[in-house]
Amino acid sequence: MAACILRQLSRGIGFAAKFYGGTVSRLTHGEAAAVATETRPTVRKFDAIQHSQLTDFGKYVAECLPKYVQKVQLTSGDELEVLIAPEGIVPVLQFLKDHQNSQFANLVDIAGMDVPARQYRFEVIYNLLSLRYNSRIRVKTYTDELTPLDSAFSVFKAANWYEREIWDMYGVFFANHPDLRRILTDYGFEGHPFRKDFPLSGYVEVRYDDERKRVVVEPVELAQEFRRFELSTPWEQFPNFRDVPAAAEEVPVDPKEKK
Amino acid sequence: MASGVLKQTTGLTGLAVVANPHHLLSVLYGKILRTIQKMPSSAAYRNYTEEIIKVRAEIVKNTSDVKELERKIGCGQAEELIQQAENELVLARKMLTWKPWEPLITKPLPNQWAWPCTK
Repeated sequence: MAACILRQLSRGIGFAAKFYGGTVSRLTHGEAAAVATETRPTVRKFDAIQHSQLTDFGKYVAECLPKYVQKVQLTSGDELEVLIAPEGIVPVLQFLKDHQNSQFANLVDIAGMDVPARQYRFEVIYNLLSLRYNSRIRVKTYTDELTPLDSAFSVFKAANWYEREIWDMYGVFFANHPDLRRILTDYGFEGHPFRKDFPLSGYVEVRYDDERKRVVVEPVELAQEFRRFELSTPWEQFPNFRDVPAAAEEVPVDPKEKK
Repeated sequence: MASGVLKQTTGLTGLAVVANPHHLLSVLYGKILRTIQKMPSSAAYRNYTEEIIKVRAEIVKNTSDVKELERKIGCGQAEELIQQAENELVLARKMLTWKPWEPLITKPLPNQWAWPCTK
């Protein structure tokens, strides 16, 4: 079966079908009835074709790169995430950028996340966009404070400043990066501000000292002690949405299944 | 050879019109297929890419008109197809060194991808 042509056609048909409302033929009667009655603009509608396209592509990536892909999941209904081992950053990104069926040539963002409870506390998240196929994908890896990651600079030139920012804010070192230095913090700043153990007001404050005629760095002195406001209410807020699906839905990737 | 005039422009900045897309595409597809042959036959990447490239190579062989070729393959202009083929060739050569068809290299810890995070 010409999987690629099918993919391109299904992607094309998917959008045409969405436009002409042709999705009804692919849904069961019950779902069609449910979709047909859902007209409220404030309720998110489930797009079965996009869902199936994303799950198929997730399985495709996992099948082509079994060495690196640990898990594939769909977040919030329509965001495909590929969770990979840290050794596979460059291969996976290169595959997604250059392969015919993916062509995610646009690196939108590299984000970081700190979860101190985990052994590998930092997550590095690459957001990619494909202009050819009009779709997005997220690639996530992990590391701890000391283990370096491979820089994505060889794949995407845009990764330059994004990785500098992650180094500055989290302390994640990127090997083979052309110029890894601080980008947002002050020149002599110590510490990595986005880490969860870095306090909100920081450790130091700066002021101009008239006697010494220069800016001095001193430990921070707050006029008021730190106040924490608990913003979540103890009462249930959305009784109509008790049975919403979980945030991330895993795409089952069966390694034994071969076409 | 060419059944019509060359188009004036691709409409994309920095992408020049090529006079002989069929020749370039067939050369590139041949190179990709030869690179792919070196991978194990069970590799999914090899099988899928082979499928795609063989279909496109067939279309290139049988269609002499450039516009018709672009329409049949359905993935952008001929110049863009050449770029995509170059990308795929670079990728295939790198895949030979990376060998992504091997089994999983590092298993994650049980709580690594759990969200909301629980210890």
